[in-house]
Amino acid sequence: MQGPLIDTLARQGVTRRAFMKYCATLASMMALPPAAGRAMAEAMAAAPAAAKRPSVIWLPFQECTGCTESITRSHSPSLEGLIFDAISLDYQETLMAAAGHQAEEALHAAMKANEGKYLLIVDGSIPLGLDGAYSCIAGKSNLEALKEAAKGAAAIVAMGSCAAYGGIPKANPNPTGAVSVSDIIKDKPIINIPGCPPIPVVMTGVLAHFLTFGSLPELDGKGRPKAFYGETIHDRCYRRPFYDQGKFAKTFDDEGARNGWCLFELGCKGPVTYNACATVKWNGGTSWPVESGHGCLGCSEPDFWDAGGFYKALSMPADPLKMVANAAVVGAAAGVAISFANRGKKSAAKSAHETTTLADLEK
Amino acid sequence: MPLDAIPVVVVHSATNQIGDNAVLSGNAPVLLHEIAELTRKLLDSGESSAIDLRALPLTPADLDWLREALGQGQVAATLEAEGESTLSETICPGVWWVTHHNENGAVASEFIEVTFVPELLKAHPDDVRIGLEHLDLLISDLSNDSVST
Repeated sequence: MQGPLIDTLARQGVTRRAFMKYCATLASMMALPPAAGRAMAEAMAAAPAAAKRPSVIWLPFQECTGCTESITRSHSPSLEGLIFDAISLDYQETLMAAAGHQAEEALHAAMKANEGKYLLIVDGSIPLGLDGAYSCIAGKSNLEALKEAAKGAAAIVAMGSCAAYGGIPKANPNPTGAVSVSDIIKDKPIINIPGCPPIPVVMTGVLAHFLTFGSLPELDGKGRPKAFYGETIHDRCYRRPFYDQGKFAKTFDDEGARNGWCLFELGCKGPVTYNACATVKWNGGTSWPVESGHGCLGCSEPDFWDAGGFYKALSMPADPLKMVANAAVVGAAAGVAISFANRGKKSAAKSAHETTTLADLEK
Repeated sequence: MPLDAIPVVVVHSATNQIGDNAVLSGNAPVLLHEIAELTRKLLDSGESSAIDLRALPLTPADLDWLREALGQGQVAATLEAEGESTLSETICPGVWWVTHHNENGAVASEFIEVTFVPELLKAHPDDVRIGLEHLDLLISDLSNDSVST
């Protein structure tokens, strides 16, 4: 275990053992055998000088920068940040010092110099409506920028639910015509890291895997790394035994809630959500939504925003509103005025995209 | 407003349950078989292995049960590196309980390692070399001192 990174670490006061400990934790989170932690430590520590580090280009599209926030504010910046010392992050709008033409130059220079070899990270969905005019960078639509950058990429990381599945921009009625990366790019390996935002260590883990083994980790049918998305929140939930015993919280302040019973009946989407929150947790392992007493929203699943209400139990019929809205569309097309007070109100609120009220969310 | 003015009632897990073993999921005893198997492998081939406790559906009570069953052996080491890590041998020599904490004291990862000595405890030759340089420095200071006195 020698090389520039281990020297950089030493200068930052990070010892070899601290780094090994970090890699052991990272490998365990990736469900890799214990030997992989050591392999990762050795590969990353031996990362070559700046000019030869793997180039990473990060393009932001229709997004909220929450994914970048999640990674840059991960709880041990000194160590998570190390992964970024082992790569050459050539374009990242939020983090880079350059702006305007300089930034564009950096992007194109990196794409040219590392053609066929760079890792492309995308966060945000791609709007197809109005020829992509909803989101442009440097006079180019996101669609154009993605196609151009994807051409020379070794692999693409679709970071966050928007890039992976369309996310919140794609939520009904999807005004911008938002789509995911994999809807557009068909000829490159794509790894989806969904979540709103994704767990930081999933991102650094994938990067570490790419640096160590020169390949992407094993993926499931939805293009997600199996190590982190192999099981549902429910399967790994510490409240799971209560589900098995039939002990449920019925409201957020009843005895069951105080006793930490299962939140299934309060709308927890844990049983259908594949993510690692239950084991990795958030904020440096402090807690995670279910531990804080709130059900899982299912933010790492496709179309989670339109899954029929955060507080509706999974056993309830999904999305009754949708049926009403469809009826309204048919009605409007036929020029028939809808006069049923409730139905009319609901569908009007829906088509005007008004704030959803509590009454809408209730069964 | 002080934090303790907020009326939060802490309900301890022991009082949550009807019956004594309700919070035990039954997953912990099974692990003993796996640990025994890994110990046999260590003896036969010298190959170390580890079980990731955080990747298994274990309740806090399960972990307590396992910790108690395996007991505390003679060796316990503490590593201070980006948070505390404890590596302690259980009453079964070669079976180590390893807990890594982060800077905030939260558990970052927890393993049972089946190995003669955990990798993390061994010094790396590069670090030993740095230590040797430091020793040489100390020794040369000694001779300088003796010259001056």
